[in-house]
Amino acid sequence: MIRAYFNTETTIAPARAWMHSILGIIGPDLRGGDTETAPDSANSNWIAALCLVVAVALLLVAAGQGAGRRGNDVAPLLFWSGTLLVVVPTSLRIAWPNVARGERLFLLVLLVGALFFHKTMYSPTGFAHHDEYLHWIAAEDLTTARRLFLSNPLLPIASVYPALEIVTTAITNLTGLPIFATATLLLAVLKGTLITALFLFYERITGSPRIAAIACLTYMGCSTFVVFESIFSYESIAFVLCILILAVEAASKDLVGRSRSSALILIALLVASLAVAHHLTAAFVAFYLGMLAALEASRRDVSLRVQARIAMGATAALAIVIPLVWVLAHGNPFTGYVGPVVETGFKALLAKLMGTSTPQSEHVSPPSQPILLRLTTLLAILLTSVGLATGFFRSLAMTAPVNLRSGWRPIQGILKRRWRDSRVVLLTLLACGFPISVAFRLTVNGWQIGNRMGTFVFIGVGLVFAVGIVHFWQGRGARGWRLIVPPAAISVIVMGGVTAGSIEPIRGPYKVSSDAQSIERMGIETSLWTKEWLGPGNRFTSDRVNRLLLAGYGRQDVRNKINPAIYAARVFRRDKLGADDFYALARSDLDFLVVDLRLTTAPPVLGFYFEPWEPQQGTQLTADELLKFNDVKGVSRTFDNGYLIIYDLRGLHGEP
Amino acid sequence: MASPSKRDLLGACLWAGATVAAVAASDSMLLRVILGVPTALLISGHVVLRAIGVRTASLTEHLVCSIGASFAVTIAGGFVLDAMGLLVPLGWAFWYLAATTAAMLLAPGDGNASIPRAWPGPLRMQRWQGAAVVLAMLVTTGAYALAIHDQAVERQFNYTDFWMLPPAKGGPGQLVIGVRSAEAQAQQYDLEVTLEGKPIAIIRSLTIAPGDTWVRKVPVPILAVQQKAEARLYLPADDKLYRRVSALVPGS
Repeated sequence: MIRAYFNTETTIAPARAWMHSILGIIGPDLRGGDTETAPDSANSNWIAALCLVVAVALLLVAAGQGAGRRGNDVAPLLFWSGTLLVVVPTSLRIAWPNVARGERLFLLVLLVGALFFHKTMYSPTGFAHHDEYLHWIAAEDLTTARRLFLSNPLLPIASVYPALEIVTTAITNLTGLPIFATATLLLAVLKGTLITALFLFYERITGSPRIAAIACLTYMGCSTFVVFESIFSYESIAFVLCILILAVEAASKDLVGRSRSSALILIALLVASLAVAHHLTAAFVAFYLGMLAALEASRRDVSLRVQARIAMGATAALAIVIPLVWVLAHGNPFTGYVGPVVETGFKALLAKLMGTSTPQSEHVSPPSQPILLRLTTLLAILLTSVGLATGFFRSLAMTAPVNLRSGWRPIQGILKRRWRDSRVVLLTLLACGFPISVAFRLTVNGWQIGNRMGTFVFIGVGLVFAVGIVHFWQGRGARGWRLIVPPAAISVIVMGGVTAGSIEPIRGPYKVSSDAQSIERMGIETSLWTKEWLGPGNRFTSDRVNRLLLAGYGRQDVRNKINPAIYAARVFRRDKLGADDFYALARSDLDFLVVDLRLTTAPPVLGFYFEPWEPQQGTQLTADELLKFNDVKGVSRTFDNGYLIIYDLRGLHGEP
Repeated sequence: MASPSKRDLLGACLWAGATVAAVAASDSMLLRVILGVPTALLISGHVVLRAIGVRTASLTEHLVCSIGASFAVTIAGGFVLDAMGLLVPLGWAFWYLAATTAAMLLAPGDGNASIPRAWPGPLRMQRWQGAAVVLAMLVTTGAYALAIHDQAVERQFNYTDFWMLPPAKGGPGQLVIGVRSAEAQAQQYDLEVTLEGKPIAIIRSLTIAPGDTWVRKVPVPILAVQQKAEARLYLPADDKLYRRVSALVPGS
């Protein structure tokens, strides 16, 4: 018995010690942050030096993009060394302890500006990304027709959310600048506003400029930050409005009386603007403010004023009602647009988790990146996960009542609905969405959901990670590895945002159906030819990339469907035009059709030529399939440059 | 005379007025950018913040909120001007003037909501630091210029555009035939046009330099029935068919 007792003890003791150390690591003990003795004034030596470093880094990035265009092997070296120089020194300085608040904020704006410039150099004189074309077309239509709510066949839902186009064309009208220049200027202002508002938001809820700065850096690790939120797309303006709403709401938490009402009016204005800017972002803000009001209503705190509760309830009501009214007033296009994406994404994720049969599109291999980039992304995810594990309970503890600061009592207090700031609780819980968003990104169909989720989830991830860094990894008076490793880890996370943000960040030679990498001068000049010689406004159909060029540069009325029931992809996909397809084409109102023979040279990089849901995904097109229109009676071959051929379909409808 | 607490609002109105004048009378893009961009992205929001009495804790916070409120003013303006059929440059300029004037009239005059003056923190720069920042700006501008140059000279494909447009219905019976060269060097072509298989025009040794466009109108008879025209472009050096286009000539 005695022997057995000792054995059990000796087995349990290390397990207990192990558990104790695990709990010590993830536990709610707050060790630092408040004790920082940051100087009042910014260090201008660092600012000057980092400005110079960033400028040289951008020169390297530009040289890398140029080398990539020429197909030079040195391109990745130049580009990635420049990117490292943009990210690492500035991130290290921002995350370093004892840096003045103003310096952190300045460097954050510098870093965001540099990353925006970094993205812009991919295509410095024109739009490059698929979604940018969709909104460029809408902005050009608004400038030309001078009317809102014009149909946009390539993105029908966008006509209901015209905020981006309104702001862009307002500036264009006032200044006379072209749409691209206006868009670049607007996006630069949006990025600067975003990071400043995010910093103010975090600072307001944590009371610490250092946590705020680290949280902003962590946010830059989100896969959507560097590219997706920097493109000319409705999400870009909507997300800025979203963060502004969060920041104004947080700033108004201690206000009373008329000041509180004024803040509420400003929030209402921003919510109304967001309601007409972007559906998902408006839904997130409604969710956030609704949950915040629910948490405030449920928390046990006698100090909370009734007026504050009413204000939060009113804010939530505004955030829910205004977008809802807007959606219902326009026949609810939201569920029809988002529903199928969510459904297929969840199906793919469940199939992956259960090991059951996956949708056909899941078998198309996603485009891959070089191994080093993938490792950087993976390392960034790993470091973020470690940061979240060490920051989760500490983040909650930060908002626990001051008298509950020892051991696990803060968490017990939170579970008993006793906390000081519901925003911190909500953001901490929001960070739990991080593993879910990563899981979605592992599937082809769910990738889009994971990517979009990341945009919102990272608001919470930023906070929790930053609390973990300040209160656990660095603690009070960080020295040695504790001083260097956490800022270095943050630099890796920001780099992860760059590597995860784009499959091919370096401009390279033309690739088949690769969106930005498929846009080059010949395609653009062919589209310009259509405008010059055929005039704008003809009804065209083509593959995904040429449709964008025809609509953007050619100002043509492009269609992805022959009629409401038949996608144009079908007529491109067979060696001979069947009777059904011929009849559909003849009965359609299409004027021209563009075939791109380069599509027959390789499988599509994104897995499809026409639509993501096309049935023959991944199957390479043949020249016979594309050239079959040569022999169709009533179809003439108007234009040919050896790669791109324009067929005139008007003869099918009895016109020349 | 405006009260001291409303001087910024009066300034905003004057700025918006100057924007109206520039949009109405000036073709200078620079002047319109200098006046128009702050009006659309900052000033209109600032006056709205002042009108509704929003109090901000720092200048940074005020700037950010002003930009957000400017978006709200602009988006609202888009709907109002659309309803009035005035989505034109002067319509926008007057919208901002109206918004700033209304905000000036509505803004409380007690000065409670005036702009906070605190910057994020004092920053004193020495001469070399200023020089470094200016140098950084120059290098960045150079980087952008390099990127623009690289994009401008990029040409991955060499090709020749060849086209034929049919006569317009009711117009003169003319086919429009064009060739544009985007080849690396000047090329010589032979061109043949047929109508229902019979040659109607042959052009030999057509030399086109890179970037040049050659266009010719070829008359065709308009008959009662539709006819098919075809144009072929040959490279005499190789004696092979290089491009082929066609058009339907409508019947009368």
